[in-house]
Amino acid sequence: MSEGMTTSAWRPRSAWAGVARAGRHGRLQGEAGVRLTLGDGMGLATLIAADGQETALRQILTDRFGWSLPEPGGANVVGERGLVWSAPGQWLAIAETRHALDGLAEAVRGLAAVTDQSDARALVRVSGPCARMALSKGLTIDLHPSAFRTGQSAVTSIAHIGAQIWQRNEAPAYDLTVARSFADSFWSWLDHAAAEFGYEVVGTSGH
Amino acid sequence: MRIRCSHCGERDNGEFSYLGDATLARPDGMEADAAAMYDYVYLRDNLAGEHRELWYHGAGCRAWLVVTRDTRTHTISDVSPARDVARTRRTGEAA
Repeated sequence: MSEGMTTSAWRPRSAWAGVARAGRHGRLQGEAGVRLTLGDGMGLATLIAADGQETALRQILTDRFGWSLPEPGGANVVGERGLVWSAPGQWLAIAETRHALDGLAEAVRGLAAVTDQSDARALVRVSGPCARMALSKGLTIDLHPSAFRTGQSAVTSIAHIGAQIWQRNEAPAYDLTVARSFADSFWSWLDHAAAEFGYEVVGTSGH
Repeated sequence: MRIRCSHCGERDNGEFSYLGDATLARPDGMEADAAAMYDYVYLRDNLAGEHRELWYHGAGCRAWLVVTRDTRTHTISDVSPARDVARTRRTGEAA
């Protein structure tokens, strides 16, 4: 094959492309109650510890990446990087770009299985004064600060769509992922849930 | 009914699916007679009272749980990871 033939017409496509539109939606009066930041281009990968290797995995993640493995229901995210608990012995690694996760699989070889999820999930950051109220319409977990705080995470469902959510700060801001194939259905729910508060969609290129 | 998952905390029962009796032990297929296998596969007690049963947290941590539930009141007195229950049972058999 000649060199000229290797140029591909394939281009990365956001999970939210054709689904989310930047700008102001829903109620238009006053300040938007919900702010939705699209998490495009982020690096996501699942980590599944090999049987009995959790302690060794914990050590190497701290030494090599400065990450601490969260306890069940936890999320240790600093800035745009860190780990979110998913299931017993399973975590979601996140980073601002997929290349930031380069070397992760090699570093934990024999201790954990790493699977890139960057193209498999759609991520949205939900913030603003009415973020909690909007999300509470579809989540069966309690988001009240007495039950769910910064650094906590949950794997649950929203409107029958499997979702993973973690709280980033006390504002509050939440990061939420759904399977990419559900992005359209999920957005349809989110649009309805956030409309009464007025919502603003921002950012399609990283955070 | 809400189930307090050992890993995720209290969740709506819609996140779980039910399998059945957690106390059954499969007979050794090479040793057991047909009646014992028939009993294991088909026959169930319909208890009015405390029941140990298997639930799968499919919409959450995807772990199997052993739930101790009163079938008359739906009161749940204990939830344990099925893996731990199986390990304990195996250790118990070995001892």
